[in-house]
Amino acid sequence: MEDTLRRINEAVQQATFKARGRSLSQRKKRDPTKPSTKWISSARVGREQGTALAIVLSTIGCAHARSDSGGCTMCSYLLDGVQERPTSEEIISQFHNALSELDGKQAPLSVKIYTSGSFLDEEEVPPEARIGILNSIAQDERIREVVLESRPEYLTDSILSNVRVILGDRIVEIGIGLESSSDTVRSICINKRFDLQMFKNALKTAKNYNIGMRAYVLLKPPLLTERDALQDALSTIEEAKTLGVTTVSLNPVNVQRDTLVEKLWTRGNYRPPWLWSVLEVIRETSKTADEWVKIICDPVAGGKRRGAHNCGNCDNTIVDAIREFSLTQDSTVLENLTCDCINQWKHVLKHEDFSLVVHR
Amino acid sequence: MAEFRVGRGHDGPARVGEYILGTTTFTTPLLTSSFTTRDPIISYGSLGRDNPQSENPMLVSLPFVGSIDELPLSSLRESDSVILPSMISLATISPDAHELVLEYQQNAITELKHSIDASRTLVRIPFGTRPESIGKYAELGAHGAVFSFNGQLGPEDFGSINLRSKLPLFMMAVAVGRIEPGLIPLLHYTGFDIIDIDHAEEAAASGLRLWKNGSETIELGKARRFCSCPACAKLDTANQKDLPSILLEHNLNIYLSVISESKEAMRSGRLRWLVEGTTHNSPAHATLVRLVNRELYKFIEEFSPTSGPDALPVIGSESYHAPVVQRFREFVADRYSAPNDKPIVLLLPCSAKKPYSDSKSHRRFSAVIESALMGMESRVAEVILTSPLGLVPRELERIYPAGQYDIPVTGDWDSEEIEIGANALVTHLEKFSSSSVVIAHVSGGYLDIVRAAESKIEQSLIYTTPEGRATSRESLDALKESLSELKGILSLTGGPRTELEEIVRATADYQFGKGAGKALVPEQAKLKGKPYRLILCSVDGEQVCSYVAESGTLSLTLAGGKLLAPLNRYWVRLDVSKIKGGSIFAVGVQEADYAIRPGDEVIVINKSNEVIAVGRSEMSGREMCELKRGRAVSVRHKKE
Repeated sequence: MEDTLRRINEAVQQATFKARGRSLSQRKKRDPTKPSTKWISSARVGREQGTALAIVLSTIGCAHARSDSGGCTMCSYLLDGVQERPTSEEIISQFHNALSELDGKQAPLSVKIYTSGSFLDEEEVPPEARIGILNSIAQDERIREVVLESRPEYLTDSILSNVRVILGDRIVEIGIGLESSSDTVRSICINKRFDLQMFKNALKTAKNYNIGMRAYVLLKPPLLTERDALQDALSTIEEAKTLGVTTVSLNPVNVQRDTLVEKLWTRGNYRPPWLWSVLEVIRETSKTADEWVKIICDPVAGGKRRGAHNCGNCDNTIVDAIREFSLTQDSTVLENLTCDCINQWKHVLKHEDFSLVVHR
Repeated sequence: MAEFRVGRGHDGPARVGEYILGTTTFTTPLLTSSFTTRDPIISYGSLGRDNPQSENPMLVSLPFVGSIDELPLSSLRESDSVILPSMISLATISPDAHELVLEYQQNAITELKHSIDASRTLVRIPFGTRPESIGKYAELGAHGAVFSFNGQLGPEDFGSINLRSKLPLFMMAVAVGRIEPGLIPLLHYTGFDIIDIDHAEEAAASGLRLWKNGSETIELGKARRFCSCPACAKLDTANQKDLPSILLEHNLNIYLSVISESKEAMRSGRLRWLVEGTTHNSPAHATLVRLVNRELYKFIEEFSPTSGPDALPVIGSESYHAPVVQRFREFVADRYSAPNDKPIVLLLPCSAKKPYSDSKSHRRFSAVIESALMGMESRVAEVILTSPLGLVPRELERIYPAGQYDIPVTGDWDSEEIEIGANALVTHLEKFSSSSVVIAHVSGGYLDIVRAAESKIEQSLIYTTPEGRATSRESLDALKESLSELKGILSLTGGPRTELEEIVRATADYQFGKGAGKALVPEQAKLKGKPYRLILCSVDGEQVCSYVAESGTLSLTLAGGKLLAPLNRYWVRLDVSKIKGGSIFAVGVQEADYAIRPGDEVIVINKSNEVIAVGRSEMSGREMCELKRGRAVSVRHKKE
């Protein structure tokens, strides 16, 4: 069986690489001193209401996605990056450009730094840039929480101790795309190219520096039925909690351009998850959540054809409830949501499993 | 244990069978669903995710896993059959990915071996599988295969039917996916044994009421179609929350009614007609039916019986290439030989009443011929022009489907029908001496056929319908006049009547191929009987065959079988010296002529090519070889 799974993985990888096409080399030119994007929103910071700044730095993008291994089947975030490697100074000015959004905001503040890759990968974000950015944060007392994003292979003792030293007593969380606790699903359906053990090791290393772990859990990678996906997300979140992550971020797949998912979706061979599935996962896992683990979810393109969606009538209400829950962790906002289309979803759960025919 | 047994009876690839799971025997064709278990439905579910709905055995699909150990196999019941796991859409990620689906299932079978025998499993054959790979699936040891339908009636759905046509005959074929009621007759016809009807539930959940040929959105308080089903009686007083269950009940009723109609059509030999009738469901459906007809002709023809209902409706252009119709044209073209000494070939129009000679118009034609030729009628070869059979030599007017087909009779023929007719006519007349005279006693569309063929006809042609209708006084007079004149011009002479031997020879050639007529009715043969009644043929004092007017076919005696044996056609070989009982079962058949179709008269021989019986086939020659069960031949006469 292992040989076959490996061959499936290779086929998925090739298909992902092919779907990526020439999109990488055709990335737009951008101002290397401006981030790809930035936005602020109200958020829970520690135990209080505060403001969060999210920044997507414009880098050359995820090393895995740039390589011949094709990257992940659902992800083309790196298309937000640039073709030519920005200098450390440029990356730092991107950060400062974004940080000005927080001018005049009250503490507590949270800063989330995304790169469409790994912030801790020194190929992508050179040490000078990383240290420069972290130093700027260290000088702002209002910032109480910092969220970074990285693949697990870059969570080394030297880098993490450096992060901790600079950021002092701030809450630090590193987001890692665990996606699934099943090595089979993570490798075959996602082409993620790390195993659970690597995630566990990274988690342990982070813990040594009192750095928390935000696990990104993917809902409905390609090649799974709706119910396969639902069950995989449920068991992944249970596993992540057991391992001791501090936050679970549930990410329903959205159809991004030039990905294997998009290729499948265009031909009717993939449908993003139902919002009912998203809701079910949050409901089930928040039941057993202890107060130390937050479960958050912001369905990208929620209610749209390319994102998690239901029938079109109930989508907004449900997406709003999910966002409300993410902010408050109050599961009563998830109650009493209903719509006629729930019967369609129930049908899909049973029938897709049996027929292996995609239900759109 | 899971076992599929093909039973007796055919209409195209459609078949009946028994599906034996544990102590329960289901009769196929069956439907499958997750929401009800009533007859004729077998339920399905996913292992560890859906609970059985009843004590009855079910189809259990295994979810995708990285290792078989992850499956809760203990919750599988002894009698359930098992659908092997795969990954949704895997086959679509690259042109070769379908091979991985096969490989994954191979591994699953190996890993399951300790708990589940391969024979209990059903393999999944995904979209995009190459037809030539079907053999590898068959080697896995499963008792059946599962094919997917996305309901768009496009290339994927056609692909699944095409793949099914390549499945070994003993394997059960299951159709799953989005299958609307209107598709069921076609799936039944193309040999699917179990059909998934859970679209009933999907439609109900979307507020749709399904019909045989489409669907209707139901909103309470708004006008809707009348429905006589008990579920719909509740719609008048229903609440919104009851709607899905009412619609589900209605939709289920539609599926039950469609499968029942389809089964009945098969029993009465009219399944083809039912399928042709579904053509107008939608343009997409018509496309699918036409593709199946064109691309899978050989598959469908192989299982289409050579006998059928008393009246075979042949209505639209879908019928032009229906297997029994096309086969008739081909047999007439390839197997029919012109009898000796036919200086006159008379082309006549067909009649609505079958067989033709029982019709009023043909009785008149024959009265005219008799009065004009007075004892020299045997010098005339009568040929009846018709659509879509092309033409029917008089001798074959009773053979299926010439004696049974029923067409609309407005006389308006389309260009394809005219082309079919003209081609058949040209081929036919080439078999007659070029010095013969052809009288075209036809008008309207029939005349168009002759005109279309005219430039390729070598013989001289006389038209005898000056004013239009072939049965008008003027036309009949013109026919009489022409025949009388020709009698003199061609100096026709009388001689013995040759009708009986011509009928038997032509029928023998049609049934058994060229040369059979001469073998079965040699010069010294003695024939007794009347045309189109029972005709007995004896050679050297021994009866060799009889012509049965009802079917227009020959029944052989053992002696007749011996005369035909050297032709090396329509034989079934057994490894026994003598036959016991009245049936030969497929399990005992060693080899058989692949040309055999259900309903054919066949010759049973033993290892040393000795004829040991004659009888009627119950299945096609390939089925006799490949199936391990079922009646292959009903014995008529055997060596004692």
